[in-house]
Amino acid sequence: MLARVNSYALNGLEGYGVSVEVDIHPGQPRTEIVGLPDTAVKESKERVRAAVKNSGFDFSAQVVTVNLAPADMRKEGPSFDLAIALGVLVATEQAGVDDHMVPLQTLDDYVFLGELSLSGEVRKINGVMPMLIAAREQGKKKIVIPRENANEAKYIRGIDVYAVGTLREAIALLNGVEFKPIEKSDVFLNDRRGVAEDLKYVKGQYAAKRAFEIAAAGGHNILLIGAPGGGKTMLAKCLPGILPDMTESEALETTKIHSTAGILDPEVGIVLHRPFRSPHHTASKIALTGGGANSHPGEISFAHNGVLFLDELPEYPRGVLELLRQPLEDGVITVSRAARSVEYPANFMLVASMNPCPCGYYGSDTHECTCTPAQIQKYMSKLSGPLLDRIDLHVETDEVHYDELNSSADAESSASVRERVNAARAIQTERYKGTGIHSNAKMTTAMIKKYCVLDSAGDRILSSAFDKLGLSARAYTRILKVARTIADLDGKETIQSSHVAEAVMYRKLDKAGK
Amino acid sequence: MLLSDVYLWLAYSCVSTHKINRLLENLSATELWNSIDGDTGKYSFDDRTLSALKRAHSLDYIESVKQYLSANNIEYVTRADPLFPEALAQSEVDPPLVLFYKGNIDIAREPCFAVVGTRRASGYGKYATEKIVGELAEHFTIVSGLATGIDGYAHGAALNAGGKTIAVLGSGLFNASPSSNLKLFDEIAKDGLVLSEYTPDTHASVYTFPQRNRIISGLSKGVLVVEASEKSGSLITANCALEQGRDVFAVPGDIDKLRSVGTNKLIKQGAVAVTSASDVLDFYGIAHGGKKAAEKAVELDFSETRVITELSSGDKSFDALMESCGLSVADLNSALSSLLINGLIRQKSKNVYCVTQQA
Repeated sequence: MLARVNSYALNGLEGYGVSVEVDIHPGQPRTEIVGLPDTAVKESKERVRAAVKNSGFDFSAQVVTVNLAPADMRKEGPSFDLAIALGVLVATEQAGVDDHMVPLQTLDDYVFLGELSLSGEVRKINGVMPMLIAAREQGKKKIVIPRENANEAKYIRGIDVYAVGTLREAIALLNGVEFKPIEKSDVFLNDRRGVAEDLKYVKGQYAAKRAFEIAAAGGHNILLIGAPGGGKTMLAKCLPGILPDMTESEALETTKIHSTAGILDPEVGIVLHRPFRSPHHTASKIALTGGGANSHPGEISFAHNGVLFLDELPEYPRGVLELLRQPLEDGVITVSRAARSVEYPANFMLVASMNPCPCGYYGSDTHECTCTPAQIQKYMSKLSGPLLDRIDLHVETDEVHYDELNSSADAESSASVRERVNAARAIQTERYKGTGIHSNAKMTTAMIKKYCVLDSAGDRILSSAFDKLGLSARAYTRILKVARTIADLDGKETIQSSHVAEAVMYRKLDKAGK
Repeated sequence: MLLSDVYLWLAYSCVSTHKINRLLENLSATELWNSIDGDTGKYSFDDRTLSALKRAHSLDYIESVKQYLSANNIEYVTRADPLFPEALAQSEVDPPLVLFYKGNIDIAREPCFAVVGTRRASGYGKYATEKIVGELAEHFTIVSGLATGIDGYAHGAALNAGGKTIAVLGSGLFNASPSSNLKLFDEIAKDGLVLSEYTPDTHASVYTFPQRNRIISGLSKGVLVVEASEKSGSLITANCALEQGRDVFAVPGDIDKLRSVGTNKLIKQGAVAVTSASDVLDFYGIAHGGKKAAEKAVELDFSETRVITELSSGDKSFDALMESCGLSVADLNSALSSLLINGLIRQKSKNVYCVTQQA
């Protein structure tokens, strides 16, 4: 007898329907899975056999042929287990079969996703959220997922999602036992439980904190330069706390990626605050950009709508850093492999930190630098011009002195900084409505011309800054963009000379002639 | 046989200048050229010197060298030429045989003053160099060594002030280093003078830099050392200057900084302490205009005035200003920025600001 069960698979971030066909006929006992399965799918026959047996059904010796259609797409992972097991049970007339031994019509209404354990439990799988979204778009009405993934389904409206814990429950559902679909809930996005550090614990560092506020408000990339132990990493960790709240569509986009990669917190089921990713400098190119045989998303996609923090920037191999240039410009990365080509969103804010020289004390007031000029030049030359070109703010952090550490006065908290950031973002959202961008950092040249008009005083400051401080030409548009954000933080329609003057302060590396 | 060709031969034989100068104490260069193929027993050459001299000893070779130099736009002046800077011809200097150069050799015969210092300059060193050289360049041709750090700042400040500057290389002209100063090289070659006693293809090595230092001091009336650690090459230049009877000046520095140890030591040993260009100019009895007409006063707003007041009582870091001025970060940032742009304050080191001395 033949049975057909619906399931879903992922190609990149896009789900597509897979029809699991199971045919059973007598003969030399064996189980065959066809339809370009990878190893995890092939091994599924062993899990299914044990799960069926241990759930109290019969899996007696027969020829079982499983086809995963469309047969020309490569299938990965264990998420077909549940569908295959149900297919076997229907084909052997043990489940979902009416009195005349015909498969139930209801079987066709459902989509099944889930991995099986040998005992017959249904286990958590990756990529539930994108598959749910795809199933809804393709008109599916009912979908069965593992109970551990239930939280991911809470936020997808317009489709009934049932969570099951065991193979037996799935069969009960098919046979008409009353099951309640998962209740939908609203997305609450101002949840900051995951934020590790608060700005109020950062002593001193007023200049750097202000730069962070500007960076968060305008979505600008930022580079921190400072001696070791100056608090660069701690500052960077505070950043998620002051980033503007995510919109619902942003949260869902990011959740799709995290769900696919299996890094989603199953307790929450959605990415509630902007992700903060800090890959170590030994990370490979593929780990950063995504790729591999199955074209998985990389760190820059995990940081989508959030922050990619590269600590000790010059320690990263130059080739790895250059890879960031195109995603920084376009906000997406296209991972092309021989088998397929997948586009992952990668719209992140780059936060990087570095020492001014290999020993870390170049230009310091309290320590002598022991590096030779050649060493310093080599260190700095790891950062290419085109990469620095994409970083709007350069800030030097101060060394912290003991009396500052000791002072008990709390600084301004992240929450109150975030209020200002949110206000500035609201202005930007209004300004860029319908243009496809959301922040000042992404302004095109035409927009800069339109929105960054300087009055004569501002123009005078900028031109004398170029003269006296030896700024480079590439600094020009950066300063205008940052000045726009500073004006937004100030709640001003036009950019004033004081905004330009402040923006000039954040071009340290240009001033050094680098 | 022209005398200048004979010197070119000696330079291209690659025997050290010092050795050749010793030889030339007893016989003239022309005699050396004429006798090198004959009986040399009476001159007691060592074999290596002799074979080196013989290798280059050919009229055709000298002719091809001259063609090569002119094809590559390298000019040269030998000791036999009237253009040769007389300051370098003194025997204490151990005069170079030939100077290969790009630029205007005439400025080497005008009064010169050397400004040298560490490659690892601090913000203070940069400031001191630019301030002092900017004024000195009106009266002197500024000589230095094109290295990173103080040397580069000195050349740059001289060019910015519209003055003349000479870079003396420790390598041949084709192998100028460091690469970060090649742009400066071109600017100096255009408006000033870049010279080297080494043939253009020579690579720099450990001993060429100390030898070059004697030319820096030899060209100059005096040498100013801005920042130098205890073992800095700048101290070699200062020593050369003393041996050659030139004057030594030094900019005093903090006593707890490694890169001030050398300069402070020079002052203890009798160098003239320099805190402004007028110290040098007064030393040589050169009349100078004193203070320039006060620049047009810049109007300051409230927060700028506040910052200036705070900084007048001493250098302060950004954080310290934040706490004492009572301004918002945004206001403080833009006040600092416009004060920096107007030149009323300067960044002393990372995130530390001070009032510019109006001298």
